[in-house]
Amino acid sequence: MADSLLQFFTLMDDQGGVIVKEPPRFDLDLYISNYRGRTRFDRLFLIGHSSVPLCVDALKAAIAEAKRGRDTHRYREAVECLRIAAPSEPEATFDQRWLQTQEANNQIETNRLLTELKGYKNNLIKESIRMGNEDLGKHLESIGDLNGAAEAYTKMRPDVSTPKQFLDVGKHLVRVSIQRREWGMVSAHVSKLGGTQHAEEERAVQPYLKVAQGIALLGQEKYKDAALSFLAVDSSVSGSSYNELASPSDVAVYGGLLALASMDRKELQTSVLDNSQFRTLLEHVPHIRRAVAQFVSGRYSACIAILESYRPDYLLDIYLQKHTANIYSKIRSKCIIQYLIPFSCVSLDTMAKAFGRPDQAIEDELAEMIQSGALQARINTIDKLVTTITVNPRAQMQQAALQAAENYERQALDRLRWMGLVAADLELKGGRKMGVQGFPGQGDFAMEETLG
Amino acid sequence: MDQAVAVLLNFPPPGGFADDAQYHSAAQSHVLEVEKLTAKADFNKSYAAQLLDHVNPALNSISYLSLLLAVRGANSLPQADLLAKFSVFLCTFDARQIRYRSSAFSVVLDLLASGSLFPASVAVDLLTTALLRLDPTGSVLTPHHVALVKLAYTTDAVEPALPLLEKDIIFYPGVKGLLETRPLSDPDLPPAAYMNREPGVQKSLSHSDILEYDLLRALCFIQRRAWRQAFDALERVLTYPARDSHSCSKIMVEAHNKWILVGLLLNGKVPTMPATMAAGAQKSLAALGKPYQSIGKAFEENTAESLKAEYESLGAQFFSQENNLNLMRLVMQHYQRWQILNLRQVYTKISLEQIRARTQSAETAAPLATEAEIEKLVQEMIDEGMLSGVIERPDGGLAHLIFVSPNEELSEAEFAQKMMRTAQRLKELEPLVKAASERLGTSRDYIKYLAGQQKKEKDGWRDYDASFVNTVEDEDLMTGVVAGY
Repeated sequence: MADSLLQFFTLMDDQGGVIVKEPPRFDLDLYISNYRGRTRFDRLFLIGHSSVPLCVDALKAAIAEAKRGRDTHRYREAVECLRIAAPSEPEATFDQRWLQTQEANNQIETNRLLTELKGYKNNLIKESIRMGNEDLGKHLESIGDLNGAAEAYTKMRPDVSTPKQFLDVGKHLVRVSIQRREWGMVSAHVSKLGGTQHAEEERAVQPYLKVAQGIALLGQEKYKDAALSFLAVDSSVSGSSYNELASPSDVAVYGGLLALASMDRKELQTSVLDNSQFRTLLEHVPHIRRAVAQFVSGRYSACIAILESYRPDYLLDIYLQKHTANIYSKIRSKCIIQYLIPFSCVSLDTMAKAFGRPDQAIEDELAEMIQSGALQARINTIDKLVTTITVNPRAQMQQAALQAAENYERQALDRLRWMGLVAADLELKGGRKMGVQGFPGQGDFAMEETLG
Repeated sequence: MDQAVAVLLNFPPPGGFADDAQYHSAAQSHVLEVEKLTAKADFNKSYAAQLLDHVNPALNSISYLSLLLAVRGANSLPQADLLAKFSVFLCTFDARQIRYRSSAFSVVLDLLASGSLFPASVAVDLLTTALLRLDPTGSVLTPHHVALVKLAYTTDAVEPALPLLEKDIIFYPGVKGLLETRPLSDPDLPPAAYMNREPGVQKSLSHSDILEYDLLRALCFIQRRAWRQAFDALERVLTYPARDSHSCSKIMVEAHNKWILVGLLLNGKVPTMPATMAAGAQKSLAALGKPYQSIGKAFEENTAESLKAEYESLGAQFFSQENNLNLMRLVMQHYQRWQILNLRQVYTKISLEQIRARTQSAETAAPLATEAEIEKLVQEMIDEGMLSGVIERPDGGLAHLIFVSPNEELSEAEFAQKMMRTAQRLKELEPLVKAASERLGTSRDYIKYLAGQQKKEKDGWRDYDASFVNTVEDEDLMTGVVAGY
């Protein structure tokens, strides 16, 4: 690795960023061509400061992407990064002339739209006000003022007159909220959109809403709900309708991974593999389909191996990056639990062969899982065995019965005692008198406890 | 003198009584006669001491008690003899007769508790025996109980008092407006009806006395390292009822702090606050018990560092001021034991070396230095019955600990036996429940409340009917609101 790159990634590491050393399996140009809108830059930039092999390429593409748009702030950000990572590249110097003219143009445009909007407002024509707000919102979004954009889009709401316009407002707000990473807001906007349109329009917009909802739930770590949302995406609608958020293959990956992390085998079979809608999407990413199929048929190590080989890809995904480790460990522990179900006793060596990882001994991992209550088993470190515990409903019942009887007795005694105290008028009653009554002198009762 | 003997032995007559009512009236007149006798000026001086030998303490308890007090008042017997008579009397008296002489008996018990007659350990033993003879259920609190526990704890004579301390107190003195129709001699009379009858006892205990009683009981159990009982006793302090929503006693605060520490020793985790706590106590304790709650939280963590840090940040000084230093030290010692104990949730067999690496001593926040130390600790735990397991050292293999899991499933017979035992215990509660309900039934406040409640219920129904009719009248009758009626 070149010195400058090393320096750049040390910096990123210090800032707590994720760093991926392995090359991903995708081709950068092909990958980015799946997307439209501002997410292209976000994705490129994320790859630029996370992936070691793709760093320079991605940052250069990001700079080019930024220059095509109007957001000067993003341009500066990308160039700053490239200046550290690869100072010798021609793109690593600021294009001052472009910056100045662009900033000036942006200012002029903002002012122009604001004056126009003012004019419309004076004329009290609803449609014009709506369009004025929309134009302003779009402009502010494109120059990176997301707060302003959200505000402008929200102002469109009172002047909406057709279902189409209503949908547009909602989509704008959802998109901006996703960019701002405000997951709660995304859900709120999506739920406002649901169920109010005509059937046809609803069908066209359904994938957009489901994808947005899924991303929001993923952001809030509600994996199961997110998975269900992704699995419900209507595959007959072209991916271009939601490619400003994610591509169809992304949807398949999110849906598949999250389902793996949160569902059991039967559920996976019915709602993932047998789901004809989702199956079409899964065709974009055959490895996920294979992983799910392996899991369902009980070949857990194969499933994990497939997922592990794609880990770098998912670490470079804009929405998955933060959750990959968590999702993977969930899948892993699920695999281990499922693996142990049919056995009463498994040797640690077999487990290590199936799930072994170089960085952590399987024994420790199992111990952690047992401790957290995820796994019902015991480890025998001397004979290197894992024995699963079968729940004994009889013993449980007996315990519960005895426990219940004991509780009953205690409660009965307690209640009798309270009745006695209340009848004798001995309850605590304090208020102002507490100083005298409630707090007797220290010497009266405070005695050092002695241990025999 | 012969006349005196005749009076003293007059009760009970050799033939016994036909029924309780006869016994009652005979006992009452006997008490009066004996009192008259002992009030005579020449009685004490001349022959009271000799009379003691003629009267059987187990049979003629009323007479014997009066004689004892008279003799003690006149100082006409050597101290050693007097004490011997006292102890024989306290161990053998007839509880039914003593019901009629409760104030005189109370004087004897006060003498015992004051510690002036007997050395403390004997006094505690005699008091316990006497109180339990009088009230075998041990369910009624008397001022003597409070005095006893203080005496026992301060003089380090806990053991003889244990049979009494282990009983659950349910009835307290000071209930007003009770009406007892049965004669005192009725053998089925609940203890609550004949205990605490001496004048003045009604007002003699305050709530702080009762809180203190339970706290001292807990301290006694802590001294005996009976964590379960100590924990229960402390919980009684915590769940003490309050009339308003802001009262909290300082004794409760003290009990709460000890309760957390005892809970850690008993269960290895922070106990959850009982749901039945008074609101004021709940609030105050949550605020005042902060240092102990953070100790508890640190205790539950997987590494000893934060426990050590918490302890050191508060300092031994703090705990000794709070009178909890010894308990706290024990908690620190027990941290590693609980860590080891918790390993049984994960392992069936584990090498000592692994135990050493995985657990830390809270005193140093580091694993023990050698395997031998761990072995010593584990062996101690096994010996004390805290851990069920064995240490094995196979030839050429690693020394390891085998956790023996108790056989959870009980056989049908065992289970039935256990359930029977519980049912039996519940049945034993029945007289207590009956007594409590009788007391409640005769209390004026309750009857007032009940009458109010019934009235309210009646009014409530009427109101409901009226309001329903009104709403229906206001509504459009065609909408089908009344369709169901």
